[in-house]
Amino acid sequence: MTPVVSRIGILALQGAFVEHKAALERLPYHRKLEVIFVKTPEELAQCDALIIPGGESTTIALLARLSGLFEPLKEFVKDKPVWGTCAGAILLSQVAENTKKGGQELLVVAGTETKLTLMQVESFEAELTVSGLKDPERPFNGFFIRAPVVVKLHPGPEDPPIQVIASLSPNLLPPALQSPDHSDEPKTFVGLRQGLHFLTTFHPELTNDDRFHEYFVRECVFANKRT
Amino acid sequence: MSTPAATTPSSQTPIPQGAGSAVVPTPAPARATGAQTQGSNSLGTFGVKSGLAQMLKGGVIMDVVNAEQARIAEEAGACAVMALERVPADIRAEGGVARMSDPQMIKEIIEAVTIPVMAKVRIGHFVEAQIIQQIGVDYIDESEVLTPADDEHHINKHAFKIPFVCGARDLGEALRRISEGAAMIRTKGEAGTGNVVEAVRHQRAVMSQIKKASVMSDEELYVFAKEIQAPFHLVKETARLKRLPVVNFAAGGVATPADAALMMQLGCDGVFVGSGIFHSGDPAKRARAIVQAVTHFNNPKILAEVSENLGPAMVGLTIEPDLKGGKFAQRGS
Repeated sequence: MTPVVSRIGILALQGAFVEHKAALERLPYHRKLEVIFVKTPEELAQCDALIIPGGESTTIALLARLSGLFEPLKEFVKDKPVWGTCAGAILLSQVAENTKKGGQELLVVAGTETKLTLMQVESFEAELTVSGLKDPERPFNGFFIRAPVVVKLHPGPEDPPIQVIASLSPNLLPPALQSPDHSDEPKTFVGLRQGLHFLTTFHPELTNDDRFHEYFVRECVFANKRT
Repeated sequence: MSTPAATTPSSQTPIPQGAGSAVVPTPAPARATGAQTQGSNSLGTFGVKSGLAQMLKGGVIMDVVNAEQARIAEEAGACAVMALERVPADIRAEGGVARMSDPQMIKEIIEAVTIPVMAKVRIGHFVEAQIIQQIGVDYIDESEVLTPADDEHHINKHAFKIPFVCGARDLGEALRRISEGAAMIRTKGEAGTGNVVEAVRHQRAVMSQIKKASVMSDEELYVFAKEIQAPFHLVKETARLKRLPVVNFAAGGVATPADAALMMQLGCDGVFVGSGIFHSGDPAKRARAIVQAVTHFNNPKILAEVSENLGPAMVGLTIEPDLKGGKFAQRGS
């Protein structure tokens, strides 16, 4: 019997999409996984799941609009597994603050509110606490590149629960984001999952540590394919 | 794809490469000299610097001289803007010493847009770079378009928290800049001419030298590194990756969507457009068309659609010995 193959699309309009493909192809799932780049609605229609990569969210949203992909993407994120990294996380959030004049088009859902943007001089790398990944005791080296910050979670009563998959120790937040009481606030949440949606404000694809890719494929893509 | 060299800092798994689609290697965890370390939260590491460049891939970076142009560029889908006082075509026409822009003007542009803002400093002028870093610019272009401040030394770019992009005409020049700390490379091309021929020459030179290096034995690579005057470990890493170890953009003379797609098909990761946009008949429309051309660089159908009705392109110059303003690309090596 031939194994069921899941096709993961990577939105390839602008940004670090090649890195995601390389990471997925390093996973030990060769026979169960096919990875394609998505630049057109036809390519999106062939996908079981999607990764929206890091890049410039304004550029990606405009190119999606110009390529006729915006409405199909909105439909896709309703019931398919989708992972957004950095700019992708912004596009998957419900409300974005501090966006460009005239506002930023979003693909909705996911029940998180992300806030743009750290100035680039405040981009940093830091060790993350991860749960739910393989080897959770091993910290993950997170690259934050002009990273968005989660400001508030607002899950609806009907929505699946929001799980924190990765977080940053409060003392590792850039000084501008630190609060005196070091309370457990959404700002320290850097990896979130809600149902089939997965958000990371940092860039797992810039490392050789593929545990987030493995998690997305195992927990969101394969799990959805089975049901 | 040989075994990783002991001299290379990264432990990157070899990855199949293709023109315009190759993976930039994972940066080493080693801290840059200028990095500030706070616990295990590190600012300004080389990984973070080259990471920003990776986010620009597949995008267009546009020259702008004021906040209004920056907004037009952002609305047209630019992934970053380059703030400068005069676009290269005007520097060429007006002559005189071209310097860093007024920090106030750069700050207005930073305020006007959410996309990253770059600014140019003169080759070797590390104080202009200190000033630009201080005002919160995202990226510095140590650029031959401005009048060089030092005809021998480039800036030690490792000493800065923010990343640098530098121009190169061939592999040796690119790797010398990377060894000085550049986190991104671009072709020099011939800025302000609207003529893509020099950018093509530089990109082809880099690609053909990489191809040559990729089949060399270590013995041959030692000699090759000496010939192109580049550090051996970077030559070795480039040969292994079959691409430059940092992001590589096209720059200098790109004026049309077709020019931009040409540079992408020649293996560039993205495109700078200088005078080509705001010296054309309809800047907003042309900018948007070039943005689409870079995304769909392999799709002639879309390229044909976006090339229609753009109005007049900038008036170009041919590259001749008496080129007005001289050949910028010969500045710095």
